[in-house]
Amino acid sequence: MTVDTKLETPVDTQTMEQAVLEPATLRLPAVTPPVPFPIETLVPDTRQQTPAVGQRATRSDGRLHGLGQTKYIDDITLPGMLYARIKRAGVASARIVRVDTSAAEAMPGVMAVLTGREIPVNSFGPSFQDQPVLADERVFHAGDGVAAVAAVTEQIAIDALEKIKVEYEPLPAVFDPVEAMKESAPKVHPPNSNIYATKVIKRGDLDRGFAESAHVFERQFRTQMVEHVPLEPHATLAEWDANGRVTLWTTLGRITLGRTDIARTLKMPVNRIRVVGTIVGGNFGGKNEITQEPVLALLSKKTGRPVKGVFSRREEFISSTTRHPFVMDYKTGVDKEGKIIARKVRLVLDGGAYCSWSETTLGKACILAPGPYNIDNVHVEAFVVYTNKTMTGAMRGFGAPQVCFAYESHMDDIAAALGIDPLEIRLRNVFDEGSISPTGQVLHSVVVRDSLLTAAERFGWREGRP
Amino acid sequence: MSSISMRVNGEMRTATVAPETTLLRFLREQLNLTGAKLGCDVGDCGACTVIVDGMAVNACLMLADQADGRDVLTIEGLATRDQLHPLQQAFEIHAALQCGFCGPGVIMSAKALLDETPDPTVQEINDALAGNLCRCTGYTKMVAAIQDVARSRGAGTVKLPAPGNSGRA
Amino acid sequence: MKAFDVVVAKDANEALALLAAHGARAKLLAGGTDLLVDLKSAAQVPDVVVDISRATDLAGIELTEHGLRIGALATHTAVMRSPLIQEYFPALVDASHTVGAVQTRNLGTLAGNLITCVPSMDGGPPLLALEAIVTLALSAGRREVPLGEFFVGPRKTVLKPDEMLLDIVIPRKNLGKPTAFLKFGLRKGQALALVNVAASAWIDPKRQVFVEPRIALGAVAPTVIRARQAEAWLEGRPATPESMAEAGRIAAGEAKPISDFRASAGYRRDLIQVLTARALAQAAAQAASKRKETSR
Repeated sequence: MTVDTKLETPVDTQTMEQAVLEPATLRLPAVTPPVPFPIETLVPDTRQQTPAVGQRATRSDGRLHGLGQTKYIDDITLPGMLYARIKRAGVASARIVRVDTSAAEAMPGVMAVLTGREIPVNSFGPSFQDQPVLADERVFHAGDGVAAVAAVTEQIAIDALEKIKVEYEPLPAVFDPVEAMKESAPKVHPPNSNIYATKVIKRGDLDRGFAESAHVFERQFRTQMVEHVPLEPHATLAEWDANGRVTLWTTLGRITLGRTDIARTLKMPVNRIRVVGTIVGGNFGGKNEITQEPVLALLSKKTGRPVKGVFSRREEFISSTTRHPFVMDYKTGVDKEGKIIARKVRLVLDGGAYCSWSETTLGKACILAPGPYNIDNVHVEAFVVYTNKTMTGAMRGFGAPQVCFAYESHMDDIAAALGIDPLEIRLRNVFDEGSISPTGQVLHSVVVRDSLLTAAERFGWREGRP
Repeated sequence: MSSISMRVNGEMRTATVAPETTLLRFLREQLNLTGAKLGCDVGDCGACTVIVDGMAVNACLMLADQADGRDVLTIEGLATRDQLHPLQQAFEIHAALQCGFCGPGVIMSAKALLDETPDPTVQEINDALAGNLCRCTGYTKMVAAIQDVARSRGAGTVKLPAPGNSGRA
Repeated sequence: MKAFDVVVAKDANEALALLAAHGARAKLLAGGTDLLVDLKSAAQVPDVVVDISRATDLAGIELTEHGLRIGALATHTAVMRSPLIQEYFPALVDASHTVGAVQTRNLGTLAGNLITCVPSMDGGPPLLALEAIVTLALSAGRREVPLGEFFVGPRKTVLKPDEMLLDIVIPRKNLGKPTAFLKFGLRKGQALALVNVAASAWIDPKRQVFVEPRIALGAVAPTVIRARQAEAWLEGRPATPESMAEAGRIAAGEAKPISDFRASAGYRRDLIQVLTARALAQAAAQAASKRKETSR
């Protein structure tokens, strides 16, 4: 194919100037062509009352998104910027005997290497500070960072990670949450118990409820680990300045919480840390806590240059938080008509290697575990346990989707066994205005019955049924 | 090093790149055209979609060298200084982009579709967007926006609201 | 990606000369949808990548005296849009349509799909059911290999390091042979097959029996395989739902599916049974509608 050097765009004065340039005379890095956007219309109307209710609003950032002009972290480049990468352990449970970074440090283009021992306070976490920024003494799961490199290109940083030698002494590991609850199981964070949070909800008299039931059903349900997979991976750009302040542009949904966590790990006053929360390319709960921010800050301090770090897609899966896998034991007593008399629920949440937002997830899962049903006798007990796996944390719904899968599947089982229509059994049990939840909350604006009936009508539930 | 020359958004660009440079990195890092995003780097997510010689491709799965002598269109090449591209306009009005990270790729896929199939069915739109992952799952609005553009082609442009203000009730 | 050199080959001869010169230190780049993904995570990259993506003599889909020739550079999109393939082998259109998504189909080639040789490839089953032959070339000479012998194992073919695939030929005798391709994935788009099945067959118009039925199964063995016992059983049998269901049962017994995170072996066996019977039924229906057309 031959290259046409003429421009096809309509000739105006601006393009005329460019058209006289032969391609060979353009030297790169060239000035990017001005990205055109309609400046005129970018001024919002002022002094005008905007009707809100009943109006469909566009997003204030929608135009920039559509133009490709939104600046996410990876779109920002600072002069002299370096690229950071983190070496991942690759072993689930081990003692770190030795980390040899000398070969990596000797590589041309490598500007700094950081290990966990150089981090002032090497622990963080939104609830418990049980997570090392970079593992120093012990590896708790395979996605743990063990060292980091800042280099002039991303590829050199990646190549340097291969040159870092880490010697591990393997330790016993536990991967199943139910196994992890046993006394004999290896402790993920010795000497602490693997069960790191519990919750119990009680209402009525469970034993009497089961005794009065015509039928009792039992079943175990399990759900899997889920990654948020935001399209934009975790990314941070850190710049340490000569005044001893650090600015971090980062994909954090909760910048204030993150800022205090960063201050703690760097052992410096929070007012010396500036966190710039840019537009985040998808969070879903997975970007609610810090990850590599302190690492990049320290690499920037070491090198005196801005440092950018972007997680690979693989790191998103192994080194960021995920949704808790649940093991859910349901036992439900009903009368002959399918009215629920008693329900016992036992939840075991696989917390992974660190707490993260597990306590929140545990609480919400417990409250919602009996389902949106009027049940006089309820007992819910729940445990969240450490395992040597990728940590689990916040994700859309905080444990609600898991229990919903279980109690609704359980309802279908009961309906099938009793020969009751699945919609009908729900209508016989659902909350109504003024119902009292298992935790004693009087409920208002309850529309579950209406929702069920409307949905059933819209998708033709009755059609083809006896 | 490879010396390459290609038309990018209507303008000839010449550059020297390391041979292993992908088209995506070349566009983002050397031409500062950061609209195409690096989401997965293995051709699954479609955030890097650009149009090469009329075909939507994953810029992460093409070497810059392979685009030598070709015509490359990125999201930055759609709008003029006075006017958004009808797709950009429709996506804004429909609020079809939430976090926005997938947006440039989705719009480029939609453009490649409409260039060949001016009046696509919903099935054809779904097929054209199958390679663009949107985790905020705004597909319904995207499909509506694309249909809007297909219908209004030649029927004049939709009035552009000021950003952030209410669109159509 | 780690550093490598790129050399552009204008045609097949140039590519072969470069391969002969560099041997195992070189890799061919055509569509790149598999190669570049591999190179990005590879500990070792080739010294030289020979870029054949613009070698015009390797593109093209045409009818020759031997049959339908699909050039090594024909992308999945080119296959889907080819009037010849649409006319003679709509099953190949279906197969290419289920590969990846638009962006990858615009880059990736049908030949590359065979060369990467993952067991779940979508291009393999219809071509195997149509008894395609691949032409392989060294700088010293050429050889023709039936597709069934081309596949050796997962990600392994008979291609030598300095050898390249020039084209895929579907023999003339199979032009227009009724063929169906069915795939079952976890999603409709961007998904690998849990099982894919292609079936081709002529139907004897007088006796309404299967003639030369060919069944190919993907994702259920180390390579794409032919269900030869099912084919042999079906030969000469009437094209009835019962016979097709039985052929599906036999085919399921011939496969060696594994259990992985996508599906269990048992589930895959059930899928083979169902999809084989359905593919045979679709091929038989094509035969019937073709007869109607010709009789009009």
